[in-house]
Amino acid sequence: MKRILALILLHIVVTLLLSGCWNRRELNELAIAVAAGVDWVDDRYRLTVQVAIPGQVTSKKSGGPQAPATLYTAEGDTIFEASRRMTQVSPRKIYFSHLRMFLMDEAMAREGIAKVLDLLSRDHEFRPDFYLVITRGATAEETLKIMTQMETIPANKLYESLQTSEKAWSASMTVTLDELINDLTSSGKHPVLTGLIITGDRDIGRTRKNVENIDTPGQLKYSGLAVFKLDKLIGWLNEKDSRNYRLISGDVKSSVSFIPCKNEGKIIIETLRTDSKLKGRIVESRPEMDIRINMEGNIGAVECSGLDLSEPATVRELEAEMEENLKRSLESVVDKVQSKFKVDIFGFGEAFRRSHPREWKEMEKTWNERYFPNLKTNIHVDYKIRRTGTTNDTFLNDIKE
Amino acid sequence: MHVVKISLRQVSILTALYTIGSAILIVPSGMASIAKQDAWIACLAGSGLGFIILAVQLQLFRKHPEANLMQWTEKLFGKWIGKTVNLLLLLTLFLGGPATVLHEIGIFMTIQMLPETPIQAIIFLFGALAVLGVRLGLEVLARAAEMLFPWFLLLFLSMSILLLSEIHWEHATPILESGISPIFPAALSFVSIAFLPHIVLMVIFPGAVNRSAEAYKAVYIGSLVGAAALFLIIGLSILVLGPDITARNMYPSYMLAKKINIGNFLQRIEAVMAVMWFITLFFRISLYFYAIAIGISQVFHIKNYQPLVMPLGWILAAVSVFIYPNVPFKLQWDATIWVPYTITVGFLFPLVLLILHGLRKMLPKKSKKQSDSA
Repeated sequence: MKRILALILLHIVVTLLLSGCWNRRELNELAIAVAAGVDWVDDRYRLTVQVAIPGQVTSKKSGGPQAPATLYTAEGDTIFEASRRMTQVSPRKIYFSHLRMFLMDEAMAREGIAKVLDLLSRDHEFRPDFYLVITRGATAEETLKIMTQMETIPANKLYESLQTSEKAWSASMTVTLDELINDLTSSGKHPVLTGLIITGDRDIGRTRKNVENIDTPGQLKYSGLAVFKLDKLIGWLNEKDSRNYRLISGDVKSSVSFIPCKNEGKIIIETLRTDSKLKGRIVESRPEMDIRINMEGNIGAVECSGLDLSEPATVRELEAEMEENLKRSLESVVDKVQSKFKVDIFGFGEAFRRSHPREWKEMEKTWNERYFPNLKTNIHVDYKIRRTGTTNDTFLNDIKE
Repeated sequence: MHVVKISLRQVSILTALYTIGSAILIVPSGMASIAKQDAWIACLAGSGLGFIILAVQLQLFRKHPEANLMQWTEKLFGKWIGKTVNLLLLLTLFLGGPATVLHEIGIFMTIQMLPETPIQAIIFLFGALAVLGVRLGLEVLARAAEMLFPWFLLLFLSMSILLLSEIHWEHATPILESGISPIFPAALSFVSIAFLPHIVLMVIFPGAVNRSAEAYKAVYIGSLVGAAALFLIIGLSILVLGPDITARNMYPSYMLAKKINIGNFLQRIEAVMAVMWFITLFFRISLYFYAIAIGISQVFHIKNYQPLVMPLGWILAAVSVFIYPNVPFKLQWDATIWVPYTITVGFLFPLVLLILHGLRKMLPKKSKKQSDSA
């Protein structure tokens, strides 16, 4: 009898305790944030959150009356405050674990992003797998209002598009929170984030009309890289410089470039693999940087006649020309950053720290002021053209008058 | 009380789980904040140091595996001093061991998963589990360990393999950036969590192993497995997250689990990985708790330790709610007080016992000689 009583008591206690956690939040009580943006408006934060509307994403029938996502905006002296103030507008509490994109506008970036990032790294709901970008020429709020095709949720379009363009074109790059914080806290590298602009008609971009036609009037496009000094934005790299920057920092997967023919036209070369090595050297007690880049590619297209691609010598010539071209453009981007921005975004200092930890201790303090702007760099490019595509000699050679 | 016997394999597994225990959660952060990217070197150095300490702890029991730590203390210090020392040891261990580990699981859950849940709820549930395990005895715990260890290994190895693609080797360079000097304090903090508390096992295992002469080997093997697992988790934290983020995070191993992403498909499985530390933390608490329960029963000559478990469990659950007032206090405690305490209890104490034992062995001969000459 006692045993049975004890068992019943145990069951009651266990069911009471195990019935669920205090924070139990069912899926239909969550507002799943897919993108968030922070603007700096009149010395206050304006937080904008794009929330996916589940019913609109899954249903196959398109053209429902609702948009696939909705936007909540709140202002506050702190971001945390703003996110809680949002519940005045939103019927559900915002859930940040599935965040894909985090946007900050240029004003915020010039003010300093570090104070925003602490919340993101401290709060338990954020996973470190979303990408951070800087909106350019528009506030984050405006940017998050643009409707998109293909990926109906704009945050997903931004996420996929950044990943794809990083891999296939190399002018933009994905940066996650932990990478950004690593750059901020390291003394030998300053952070860089991809820029995001709205092209075309913003007003139509906000409406459903934007996705009704084949031609989308308003589009979201990645453009350039934002250069930071510590946590403050100080300038932008254009597309060409961005690509060269990424070649030096060494994580380009694939890209396309060209060299001019002897007569008219261009030879287009598709880069498939790159590998860059930064190595610090001390020459006569001054630091020097060896940048060694190994690249591999294929011939993508030929626009001119008179090129004999069955001849290994031609390929060697092309390789040499490619190397020369690349070397010049890499030197120009290093020059530009050294003279214009004077911050080490390449991670040269970081490379020194790894190879010359003792000397770095002395250079660390004045690296950006004294050493980096005058740092001598030796760039070696090794380009290997492996294949010529599915054809060998171009038919252009045999076009008869 | 019936005689408890467990096998050598079970000793190894229990030791391994005990070694990994709460260390898997807190060690990477603490070590990276001292030794930066060289935390893995500190871990190797710490393991070396740990085995020396273990040798000291095990020395008495290699030759006389039938008596446990409690009995040795009484034998060598005399009845009353011995009992006082034992009680002091058990009391401080109770506060520093299971209570803090139980609190650890509480704050881990409230920080990472259930921020609005009262910590009492988690502590009481987990504490109830430990009480149940300890009440059922060492044999049950050992068999449970045998069953759960493969699961732990599965989760641990799958986490390691899934993270291989995220490794950045340059995070580990430059090696020995700030010289050899931070290695020793980091190794000490490693030893204080992973090896010095092994003194608790000297209360449990002697007399409870079926082939007692070889039990010490099993403890070595278990510690080696545990140290290897910790080495792996420290290495992964440094290589995947970088020393800076590892040091800054409260629970880098949980952050590691969050980083898993295979093709945008196999991702967000950190809650599954958390099962791993529930297993190790459970055995850490249970073994501490079991040792204290049987220790008290021996001090007071209580035949059966089981009636002690429930009241101790209540005290444990209540104490661990307020053992640390806040998180910075806990971090400071772990860094400044726990280390010297464990050195005293885990190294100096067995060393004193060893010396006393040596003297005792020599003294009768001397006194015999003296009496002969007299």
